[in-house]
Amino acid sequence: MSSFYISDDTTRDDVVVLVAGGEIDYAASPHLRECMLAHIKANRQRLVLDLSWATFIDSTAIGVLTGAATKLRKADGGSLAVVCTHEKVLQIFAISGLESVISLYSSCEEAISALAVAG
Amino acid sequence: MQAWIERETASFAASELRLPALRSELDVARRYVEEAAAAFGFDADSCFELVFAVNEAVTNAIRHGAPDERGLISLSVVADVGRLTFVVRDCGTFAMPVLDTDTRSEHGRGLALMASVMDEVQLHIKPGSTVVRLSKARA
Repeated sequence: MSSFYISDDTTRDDVVVLVAGGEIDYAASPHLRECMLAHIKANRQRLVLDLSWATFIDSTAIGVLTGAATKLRKADGGSLAVVCTHEKVLQIFAISGLESVISLYSSCEEAISALAVAG
Repeated sequence: MQAWIERETASFAASELRLPALRSELDVARRYVEEAAAAFGFDADSCFELVFAVNEAVTNAIRHGAPDERGLISLSVVADVGRLTFVVRDCGTFAMPVLDTDTRSEHGRGLALMASVMDEVQLHIKPGSTVVRLSKARA
């Protein structure tokens, strides 16, 4: 059984914070996609995804993040910030070339501040 | 030195895991790779890269391939001199992914990502059989 979990959402400074932890693979990615899309469709367009407790991501998770970031960028004032501190997860972001597509932060506070300022 | 390496390799038992072609089985595949890579003596970084790459191959087999008549796909491991090879087999007919170099694309990264962390990735394809071999040498 995969260790993936996603937290209840919190909203701070009009920024929605989602926390996803454990292993985000092909079994978990649909849940992550569904959750992020629900916010985007509800016009909550400044999202922080906190991956501080994620220990693994795969290409399907990367696809979910890329899709969400692209949708948010097309929306007026929308933006996605990802919090990531796990060395190996950061390595996957790096080899995927996603550092140029998705804004990465080392703390949730930093990510919220960046989106609050941008908004 | 050569004799030592050969003895050490001989002590590593090749094995095969046959698992249901279900996404819920991916963590079983990852634990199998992690244990085999650690037992072979890979450091933590290389273990992670092997887990990541093989996970991509098994994901592709589940997502795009086809299981055997019992609903299973195969993941096996074999040791060569200082080198470990994981083999993922399914009964699907490989379809070439649409190559997309756009980093914003949601799909099509799996093979490139596998290759980026392995020493060698081989794809053996024929109708009704897709075999991916992923090899990495120990430092």
